[in-house]
Amino acid sequence: MSNTVMRTSLAAAAALSLTLLASCSSPADSDTASAGSCTPAKGKVTLQYWNTVPGMDKVVALWNKNNPDIQVQTKNISNDQYGTLGNALKAGKAPDLAQVGYDQLPSLRTQNAFVDASACSAAGAAKSKFVPWTWSQTSFGDTGVFAFPQDTGPMALYVRSDLFKKYGLPIPRTWDEYAAAAKKLHKADPDISITFFDPNNAEWFNGLLWQNSAKMYSYSGDKWHVSVASDQSKQVTEYWQKLVSDNLVRTDLAHGSTQMYAAYQKNQIASYVGASWGYSMFRDNLPQQAGKWSIVPMPTWSADGASGDWGGSTVAFMKGNSHLYESVKFNTWLNTDPEALALENKLGGLYPAANAGLQLPALSEGVPYYNNEKIFDVFAESSKKIDTTFAWGPTQKTVNLALQDAMAKATAGDGTLTDALEAAQAAALKSMKDQAIPATAGK
Amino acid sequence: MTDISTRVPHVMSSPGRRRRSGGPRAGTVAAFVTPFFLPFLLFYVVPVGYALWQSFRVVRRTGGQYGTSYTAFGGLDQYAQVFQNTEFWSSIGRIGLFGIVQVPVMLFVALVMALLLDTPLLRVKAFFRITAFMPYAVPGVIAAIMWSYLYSPQLSPVVDLLTSVGWQPDFLGPGAVLWSAANVSTWLWTGYNMLIMYAALQAIPQELYEAAKIDGASQWTIAWRIKVPIIAPSIVLTTVFSIIGTLQLYAEPAVLRQISSNISSTFTPNMLAYAVASGNNYQQAAAISVVIALITFVLSFGFMRLTSKRAGL
Repeated sequence: MSNTVMRTSLAAAAALSLTLLASCSSPADSDTASAGSCTPAKGKVTLQYWNTVPGMDKVVALWNKNNPDIQVQTKNISNDQYGTLGNALKAGKAPDLAQVGYDQLPSLRTQNAFVDASACSAAGAAKSKFVPWTWSQTSFGDTGVFAFPQDTGPMALYVRSDLFKKYGLPIPRTWDEYAAAAKKLHKADPDISITFFDPNNAEWFNGLLWQNSAKMYSYSGDKWHVSVASDQSKQVTEYWQKLVSDNLVRTDLAHGSTQMYAAYQKNQIASYVGASWGYSMFRDNLPQQAGKWSIVPMPTWSADGASGDWGGSTVAFMKGNSHLYESVKFNTWLNTDPEALALENKLGGLYPAANAGLQLPALSEGVPYYNNEKIFDVFAESSKKIDTTFAWGPTQKTVNLALQDAMAKATAGDGTLTDALEAAQAAALKSMKDQAIPATAGK
Repeated sequence: MTDISTRVPHVMSSPGRRRRSGGPRAGTVAAFVTPFFLPFLLFYVVPVGYALWQSFRVVRRTGGQYGTSYTAFGGLDQYAQVFQNTEFWSSIGRIGLFGIVQVPVMLFVALVMALLLDTPLLRVKAFFRITAFMPYAVPGVIAAIMWSYLYSPQLSPVVDLLTSVGWQPDFLGPGAVLWSAANVSTWLWTGYNMLIMYAALQAIPQELYEAAKIDGASQWTIAWRIKVPIIAPSIVLTTVFSIIGTLQLYAEPAVLRQISSNISSTFTPNMLAYAVASGNNYQQAAAISVVIALITFVLSFGFMRLTSKRAGL
């Protein structure tokens, strides 16, 4: 009898393993870029929404209170966001809605991760509610609606105004002036650096490339064209290489690490090239330095030059979503309703991508931590100067890793940051080939 | 394993016993074996089979800017890529160096500690045993986080202390970081290996020592001429475990990576596999994993065969 039990269980296990294998390989399984249908459900609906924003559960609680028929469950996936999402997709268990950064949208698109919500007329109508460049990043240049923009990361320069005053440094408006300030500071006190260069942070570095109109990818004639190592990019790497070689910036600090905050805490670093969401990061992690920080426009390459964007996210309609009507309703509220946006700005430090968000009273007020300066005016100005034609590649994660590995080598003295661009370019072409995406090296 | 254990019958149970099981007992055996076999199948055989299957697939795509992806049979394509991948071979070389240094150091320290525990000289045995074993109870990730604070120039009291006496160590520098990771592994696993060796030492009959003493052997001679050869099978066993552990190295460097840019995303073979998988290239990651498994298999079994032959086991 036990023999029978064992044989049955073996057969069951074998059958299970076969189903697993089959479900993961069938081409029919991946036919998802097509539009979903948009019919309201009869009765109560529960949506799954995965995100990485602090305090998002409280925002959603507000929605749940007012919408008993469309209940939303949140899950924070800050720890390994894309690993979690990728595995869930592979297992066919993706949530209805998920937070996805702009830079990872094309990668996930090539993994058939999204469902097109354009069958819902409300989804297409939402277009006018968002800052135009954010919308074009979510629609991949076609008419589909795969995600709603949530926030952006217009960049700016955070300065320790007390240290700048102490050492007689003028606020730098261009990168040349910034380098001059770095030199002057180093001469006055070798223990202080103007900032740090984290070679392990490609996202930040991409923001710098973006500022200089470095187009990393374009698509034409049935092919992707990869130009990660363009002249505009090289101008950026050569600039930072000089600061690194002259020992004017620290290279031993990882962004957001305890070590980084410790260095700021010990007054070893006088500025920070960051994005809008960094405002709450400094406020929350360095409370003792309240009143010492100012936020000014990011240094530019020319007198009236462009700004960059670092980060920012969307809320995407994920594959398998069978409640598009309700999802569009919730997603619209989440990212355009003034009450929701105000709460997200306060709790999560989000700088809205919705036009309505830019009119929020909270964004026109002074912020106590920054001497009551109207810091959001700086970000609004920055937001207007972001190159709206910048596009991300379909294998961005791999390219970022290659860039980081090579930049780390460069800061350790093996090669240059410009070599790192070439490494990233090669990785981009190789990874696209691996994913069967036709690509050539661009100019 | 039975080959080795027969040499030291006191360490493991006698192999003669299992012969008796036969016909009418098969049902009972099945009842006992099934609870093991089912999870083994589900959580070991099935995932391995799935990885193998994936490693023979390649991604294909319908046309268009993004297209729709699916996988197809790709033969040995993924394996050819693994063998041509210079990052893969440099990660293998890196942990090879790691293992050649770290494993002997760790096992030597573990052996010395086990022998010390076994001598009548040491008074506070229970205390010593538990403190030496304690690090093993700490999860690898936690241990790495703890050590990363001790290595970090911004936060570490150790670095502060060394700096104040005029030595400025850079535990996270390009040359040192591999050995900083090795130190974490050694700290974690020495006590564990010590216990395995100590257990083997406990099983040696006292008469052997008495005979040796009558022949005039010192404690030193007893240790190196009697104890070490007798527990050789345990040393072989811990070496095999350590070889496997080295090839699987992931947690320690992955944690240190967060504070040191001198650890690349392809630092160890497992980290490379993870990085490739996180770039959505699951098929290539599967092939890398299979090759790591094969290398582990060849090295550990090769070592066992080599040592058993030389020791005449």
